[in-house]
Amino acid sequence: MNRVRTELRSRSPIWWVAAFAGVAIFALDLVGHLTQPNIQDTGVWIFLDTKLAALIAAGLWIWGWRVRLIGLLLFGWAIAVLAGDLMNVYPDSRSVATFGLLVYWTGANIFFLHMAFAYPTGRLGRHWPTRLLLIGFVYVGSVITVIPWLLFQDGRGCADCRPRATSYFFVGHSVSWLDDWNLFWVYWSWVALAPVFVWLIWRRFRMTSKGGRRTVWPFLTAFSLAFADLVIWSIDGGFGSGGSLDPYLTYGDISTAWLVVLGAVSGVLVTRRARGVVGNLVVELGRAAPGGVRDALARAIGDPTLELALWVPQKHGWVDEEGNEVELPTGDDRTVTLVGEKLAAIIHDPVLLDQPSLLEAAGSAARFALENERLQVELRAQLAELRESRARIVWAGDEERRRLERDLHDGAQQRLLGLGMALQLLEPHLDKDAGPLLEETETELQQALAELRELARGIHPAVLTDQGLAAALKTLAQRSPVPVELYACSGRLPAPVETAAYFVVSEALTNIVKYARAEHAWVNVTRNNGLVRIDVRDDGIGGANPTAGSGLSGLADRIGALDGQLEIESPAGAGTHVAAEIPCAR
Amino acid sequence: MRTVIADDTALLRQGLARLLAEAGIDVCGEAGDGESLLQLVEREQPDVAIVDIRMPPTHSDEGLVAAAVIRTRFPHVGVLVLSQYVEPAYALRLVSDQQGGCGYLLKDRVTNAAELVDALERVAAGELVVDRELVDLLLTQRRDPDPLGDLTEREREVLALMAEGFADRAIAERLWIATNTVETHVRHILHKLALPCDDAKNRRVQAVLIHLSG
Repeated sequence: MNRVRTELRSRSPIWWVAAFAGVAIFALDLVGHLTQPNIQDTGVWIFLDTKLAALIAAGLWIWGWRVRLIGLLLFGWAIAVLAGDLMNVYPDSRSVATFGLLVYWTGANIFFLHMAFAYPTGRLGRHWPTRLLLIGFVYVGSVITVIPWLLFQDGRGCADCRPRATSYFFVGHSVSWLDDWNLFWVYWSWVALAPVFVWLIWRRFRMTSKGGRRTVWPFLTAFSLAFADLVIWSIDGGFGSGGSLDPYLTYGDISTAWLVVLGAVSGVLVTRRARGVVGNLVVELGRAAPGGVRDALARAIGDPTLELALWVPQKHGWVDEEGNEVELPTGDDRTVTLVGEKLAAIIHDPVLLDQPSLLEAAGSAARFALENERLQVELRAQLAELRESRARIVWAGDEERRRLERDLHDGAQQRLLGLGMALQLLEPHLDKDAGPLLEETETELQQALAELRELARGIHPAVLTDQGLAAALKTLAQRSPVPVELYACSGRLPAPVETAAYFVVSEALTNIVKYARAEHAWVNVTRNNGLVRIDVRDDGIGGANPTAGSGLSGLADRIGALDGQLEIESPAGAGTHVAAEIPCAR
Repeated sequence: MRTVIADDTALLRQGLARLLAEAGIDVCGEAGDGESLLQLVEREQPDVAIVDIRMPPTHSDEGLVAAAVIRTRFPHVGVLVLSQYVEPAYALRLVSDQQGGCGYLLKDRVTNAAELVDALERVAAGELVVDRELVDLLLTQRRDPDPLGDLTEREREVLALMAEGFADRAIAERLWIATNTVETHVRHILHKLALPCDDAKNRRVQAVLIHLSG
């Protein structure tokens, strides 16, 4: 209900005036026929008026439905034909004669042929022979013709014509060439130009894309039939039996006009469906996930081969939705339609160029989505760069730790061991009094060695590199002052993942020992669907604050660098749960 | 007793060689990596090879790899691995399927000649030797339920020495008790831990270690 009201309200005042005028003129014609049944065969005029009603209605409908030009042309054609009929119904009215001569002799041809060549958009193409024929011949010819009709026509000059009212511009039946001109204009020219029209229409159909043909064929077929009817009528009238075919041609004319109406309406319906597709596109774009704009566009435009390129200013290049750089094609087999000023490019099948309005509409509809998509691509690229650099930093840090651990063993530890052995060798040469001192020194040395070992272990446990995560975690659990129930899947993982997982457990266990006052801790490391999951729980007091400078916040960064996630749940009184998930290739 | 030493640090090799020479042990060769160690062992056929766990080229577990090769190719040669790490995983890897003499000692032990010589002699005698620090770690780890909860103080002491690889008599000497008493303790311990009574002492050490490290 709302939709109807909106559509009615959106029509322009001109439309309303035209609609009113159209209905009024039609009513006038109808009244004429009803009051003077003897003017024309009843079957004929009913058939004719029905056709006119249909033409007016279709014209107004199409016009109102925003395919303005075609609607206007169809409506204009209807009015012109109606004007011609009015002259038959009211042969004595000068007003009708003026209006009828003016409108019929200009409008009937201009509107009809313009419509034929400009269907379905209403705009003439750039093809110059078409323009020449239409503007040079039809427009100019019609205007030139209408002048003598207005000035000189009084109904004489044709064999079966009755005398009729003249126009207000009538100056007298004084020119001898009028009839010849009429003969030429009305009959010969059509016959002569018929092949040209046929060729132009055929060309127009050939040049239309497959998608476009679906829209234009009913109309062009109807038009061709109507035109054929016109040509036969011209031949018959100009050279042949002098109107003996008239009854058939009249029915033919009316029938083909019906077909034109149906063709125009069906074409508009197809276009309307296309626009409906654009409407759906808007809805779909609203729902499209990042990276889904291409698919939505491909569906809307009906080109499954459609590709999308987005302009990334930082890269000075085009990229696809995944962020891979792409080149815009330059060949004939693909066509590029730009959206916005270097925002995006739709790379599509060239036949779609025949539907520029669809492409344009789809492009406009998708514009914000494309803008968004481009930002997403840029953002993703930056994120990927950031992530890579973060991973590199973490990896460099790990390498540094490994090197440090090795240096401690190979350097300081060896020196201390050398010292210890030297003390052993020294012992027999010392006084007995030096015994306690030596023992003290040795104890100190043992202490130093033990501390050094712990330090190296804290920096990087060698067992993690050599034996893997499960073995390293086992030692960690064995060393923990809080009993730990450990389950760790066996099998090696990528080194950065193992290191991150190890330090998560290590840090979590350290925190448990320090703060949690827990009786038990549980460590679970599982691997599923390319994801390593680490859970560390305890039954302590909870209430841990992960942001308060604990080592865990540093670990979140480390895990983030591997595209993983760290979550800490620590409700007061209900223990702490540290959960980490790290993706790892299988 | 004839030994060879493999360690990539010359300082340590030389110090160790001097220390062992002072203690009357014949050091008949030194090597800097696993490959040359194998050649040396093949040539010298020593009683025991003293092997650093970490050697070139990868500086990870070459010592353990070399130990495994020696134990297969020269079963009469004992291997004493000196390690920087108190890691049950390494020790288990070394002793888990060894039948002959071999040992896993912390490198710190080179600062105690008597202890080192004792370990060498036990390895030469075909015993398993496990560093006491490692056994300490295994015995002190908190578990719940604690499988060692039922053991008496004395039984724990006996278990620790068992895990270090000592035979009943050596345990008896160390604890100043009779060998019979040790045997009784051992029987109780094995029963309480539900371990099989195996007379082969190396297998007993392995079982105890595996049990302790969970």
